[in-house]
Amino acid sequence: MPYDRLSRRQILAISAGAMLVPAVGRAQGASVAKIGLVQSTTGGSAALYGTEQKQAIELAFSEINEAKALGEIRLQALHADDGADRGQTVNIFQRLIRQDKVVAILGPTLSNSAFAADPLAQQASIPVIASSNTAPNLTKIGDFIFRTSVPEDQVFPSVLGYAVRKHGVKRVALIYGLDDALTRGAHDVQKKAAQDLGLQQVAVESYQRGDVDFSAQLTKIKAQNPDAVILGTLAEEAAAILRQARQLGFDERIAFVGCNANISAKLFELAGPAAHGIIVGASWFAGYDNPKSRAFVDAYRRRYGSTPDIYAAQGYDAAYLIAEAIRRARTVTDGRAVRAKLAEIRDFDGVLGRYGWSPERDATVTPKVLVGDGQAKVFVAAPAV
Amino acid sequence: MIDLYYAYENVIDLCLLNAVLAFACLLLLGVNLLSLATGGLMALGAYLSIWLTMQKGWSFGPALLAATLLGSLAAAGLGALVLRLRGDYFAMATLAFTEVVRILTLNWDSVTGGALGVFGIPKLTETWQLAALLLLVVYLVWAIRNSAIGDRMRAVAEDELAVTASGHDVARLKRALFTASGAIAGLGGALAAHLNMFVAPGDFGFLRSMDAVLAPVLGGVWNLFGAAIGAAILTLLPELLRFSAQWREILIGAVTLLAVLFLPTGVASLPRRLLRGAHPGRIA
Amino acid sequence: MLLQQFVNGLSLGAVYAVFAVGFTLVFGVLNVLNLSQGAVFMWGAYVGLEVMRTLHLPLAAAMAVALLAAGLLGVLSEWIVFRPLQRRGAHRWMGMVGSLALARILIGAAQEVFGTQVVRYPDGAVIGAAVDLWGVRVQGLQVVALAVALVLVLALGALLRLTNFGRVIRTVAFSETVARLVGAPVGRVRVATFFVSGALAGGAGVLWSLLFQSVSPFMGETVLLKGLTVLILGGLGNVAGALAGGLLLGLVEVGSVVAVGAGYRDAVGFGLVLLILLTRPTGLFSSREAKRA
Repeated sequence: MPYDRLSRRQILAISAGAMLVPAVGRAQGASVAKIGLVQSTTGGSAALYGTEQKQAIELAFSEINEAKALGEIRLQALHADDGADRGQTVNIFQRLIRQDKVVAILGPTLSNSAFAADPLAQQASIPVIASSNTAPNLTKIGDFIFRTSVPEDQVFPSVLGYAVRKHGVKRVALIYGLDDALTRGAHDVQKKAAQDLGLQQVAVESYQRGDVDFSAQLTKIKAQNPDAVILGTLAEEAAAILRQARQLGFDERIAFVGCNANISAKLFELAGPAAHGIIVGASWFAGYDNPKSRAFVDAYRRRYGSTPDIYAAQGYDAAYLIAEAIRRARTVTDGRAVRAKLAEIRDFDGVLGRYGWSPERDATVTPKVLVGDGQAKVFVAAPAV
Repeated sequence: MIDLYYAYENVIDLCLLNAVLAFACLLLLGVNLLSLATGGLMALGAYLSIWLTMQKGWSFGPALLAATLLGSLAAAGLGALVLRLRGDYFAMATLAFTEVVRILTLNWDSVTGGALGVFGIPKLTETWQLAALLLLVVYLVWAIRNSAIGDRMRAVAEDELAVTASGHDVARLKRALFTASGAIAGLGGALAAHLNMFVAPGDFGFLRSMDAVLAPVLGGVWNLFGAAIGAAILTLLPELLRFSAQWREILIGAVTLLAVLFLPTGVASLPRRLLRGAHPGRIA
Repeated sequence: MLLQQFVNGLSLGAVYAVFAVGFTLVFGVLNVLNLSQGAVFMWGAYVGLEVMRTLHLPLAAAMAVALLAAGLLGVLSEWIVFRPLQRRGAHRWMGMVGSLALARILIGAAQEVFGTQVVRYPDGAVIGAAVDLWGVRVQGLQVVALAVALVLVLALGALLRLTNFGRVIRTVAFSETVARLVGAPVGRVRVATFFVSGALAGGAGVLWSLLFQSVSPFMGETVLLKGLTVLILGGLGNVAGALAGGLLLGLVEVGSVVAVGAGYRDAVGFGLVLLILLTRPTGLFSSREAKRA
């Protein structure tokens, strides 16, 4: 038999099989949307924010896939840790775009990394949604860059306004980190907000990333008798500043007003009772009274055993937004089409509330003013003036 | 295949660049000079070249030349001041230099963009440029080592006092080598800036200088290709060990330590040693 | 305000001093720069932290254990890096690169074991007491730091000057060859020196963590550079110089922040280093003409 010519039946069988193979291959390839998940899970404070976003996005993807919300399209997250090193972020973006052929990227964690790597995605027409970049001018990189992390200039003015009304603040001191796009950006916004409100800036101090001793700066600030101290810092430095301010004997009535990056469980962990009373503004907080938010918090708690932070919430919404864009565009390879559909989304019902995109592709979320509760170690809604 | 290249283009370019810088340090280590000035000299070259291409509209070639020139001038100046210091003091002085440059770039916002650095630098560096430069540098180092200068370098490494006593101007040799390494570092900085499309002061600090020195140590100070091999190892490890930054650090540290302890001739000589069952401690 | 800054600077300087004394000791006695000192500083802080966090022992016990562990790490660096290199007659820069490599291993290991996040000593450890003198707030912790620094350094000085073993150490410091000739136990001196310097680094680490409520795997890196600065300021191998240099650096750093802002703070330190290296390499406080300059 093997040496004879193949029978007609066998030829038919083989050709049928041969025809099926590419069809099967195509179907499998066509139904998986690969999404780059560039979040730092090592590299200092970035890892705090990055891990939360990674977890939230993976939660969202598994929910979407289970519910088959996209029909036969499955979402696959390709996670890469850039270690908060933007040289690595650039490498990772290149690999994801050229080799893995992702259709979108969620991340990166740090604004610094975003400025370095986002241009690559823009050039390659791959949409990017950031959920923890709050530096100004980020989305100016190009029209493929979006973010659900509300930039500081949308949030801080209301926060400062609240502090002024509640505590009668007239003289302010500012302290910020010199060498980080996020803290510099926050500082610029804070300075402008203080100017716009006609407040007197009695001291402006700075520090470098990694500094732990703020006694020199705080002593200078204390000597000027401010009513409030405005922090343009990351969570660790904010915690150290709060503690050391107490140790140096800062008056109880001096208000501390923070920025977006201070919103982290790490703040309470490191600062302890000194974090009590710090005023911040955010797009979201764990106690937000909204059904989608509550469902998200429960799901996150069940899966990871901890309460999600603001970056997780923003990441979760980013994941759902990109999924919706993919659903509308009905493609897993065309970045341009996905971007077009993404930009069209208005009235999105997310964990952060109901919102759409601003002309600069920032999420138009209403900011909420929060106050730190040193005992409960969470942020709660600020009491009315 | 082309896609594979594009995916890893950045890594390949970084390898080539780091190899070039490693050779600069190789020259100095050959006369027992541990210089940590590479970072600072790179910074000078980088920021000057950026300023020229972005603010003054210069084309890439002249900007590179300017960077090389600045690097050599700075090295010559620094060398005149610090080469007379003994080993440890020399290393620390070069470290202080790098740090001072870093801090200046950190604060001089108007020229260097300050702490945030400069973004959107045109990507002018191409792989062929780096490869050509590497070949050139390798040739130069080979030529030097096989010449009378090379002999003198080896003699200085063995016993500097004796060489000085027999009338050779060791100081001049060191100054020449230091200036050459400065030229390479300045050029390397300019290439680096136009490769990554962004720079920041932190890119050219102590760590940068250390990595540049580690590469030749890993690969083998007396081995011609050692610097390139060491640079390749140091550049590729972060890629390969992406899953664990911690283990990457441990591994680099361990490999370097082993290289220093057991292989004064470096990783590149390992195959030869294994084959020959070499005598430890002999310079190959 | 200036008086307050003075106090701030002194307590910062005290920690620098403790660290630098260990650093300079090894150099003075054995003529090597042990660049893993920063990593040992960090490990000391973590060991102390773990003792308090996991074993729930009081601060004094934590400090003791930290000193011991750090001392052992110091001996480790002698055993792994410096002894083999010395036996081979390798050039000095190999010791620097080798100890830096060891530091890298230690930092990576610390990240692996303790995580990469910043943590702090539990609230109970920190002495919250503070007293207001003439408008200056002096924290109990700052006084303790300064006191510990003085005690440690004075004890070391006493050891070196007044005991027999101290005399042996000074012999080795003068010349290891001569010491061997007169039958001094050079090996034991090496181990003891590295142990003491490691312990000092670890102790400094605990003090630092208490003062600034911060422990992270990278805390040793900047302190190493500061230690080198103090070494130059005080003179390589000069123990009293390291103490004075450390305090001076603390004051200079705080003063720089006051005068020119945090951005230039480190530049002042390194600028001083360059200045001293170019004009008076033996340091500000060395009177004798160092044969090693």
